[in-house]
Amino acid sequence: MSHTRQYELVYIVSPEASEPAVAELHTQVEQIVQRFNGTLDKTENWGRRKLAYEIGKAREGTYVVETISGSGELVKEIDRRLRVTDTIIRHLIVRVDEDLRVADRLRSERKATQARRRTARGLPPEPLPSERRGDRDDMDTDDLGLEPEVQR
Amino acid sequence: MSGERGGRGRGGKKDDKDKKGGDRPRGGGFFRRRRVCKFCADKIDYINYKDVRLLTPFIPERGKIQPRRISGTCAKHQRALQTAISRARQLALIPYVTE
Repeated sequence: MSHTRQYELVYIVSPEASEPAVAELHTQVEQIVQRFNGTLDKTENWGRRKLAYEIGKAREGTYVVETISGSGELVKEIDRRLRVTDTIIRHLIVRVDEDLRVADRLRSERKATQARRRTARGLPPEPLPSERRGDRDDMDTDDLGLEPEVQR
Repeated sequence: MSGERGGRGRGGKKDDKDKKGGDRPRGGGFFRRRRVCKFCADKIDYINYKDVRLLTPFIPERGKIQPRRISGTCAKHQRALQTAISRARQLALIPYVTE
């Protein structure tokens, strides 16, 4: 009935939870995914990581990233379940298929143009990562006042 | 550092529009910074919110998002950057504020 979409789920497990508890959560997610006829494409465990700010009392947490394909109802259920699970201190679900598709398209388009230009010019236009001007002093001088006779 | 420029820029109001278009060469030892969008230059199509290393250059000490006028990011990528940063913040990868 509904479309298959790809989602990315990231959840942070409380530092008090043990390794098996984290694995248990993973199987729980897996079960929900199976129940809704979705697929679990990828799982990444980042391990314990320091949080940028405290969540509740936790200063660190175990990050798990899962890539899931499935329907919206599936995600709704996962979201609900994660919300009520105490050991999960934070979670985020993002739909990624559209963004990735756009990125893919851009990449292939760029490749095509690049190839075209390369053959036209006959040189390898491998662009360098452009220099980011980062020095603040430069900016300050700009703010001090620019010459009015800029256009000439 | 105000001494550097003292004699010349007196009375010249700053003009942001000129700053942007002013890439034509002029003699006189004054040059415009080239402002290139990092994401355009590096050909990053999808700004991944999980990639902290990618995002940190756009977050100064205070924890705020660096404005476009400073970072030089193009509008399209600044928008994407915004969402990426807010997501990373939710996941405590990046602080909301730093004192």
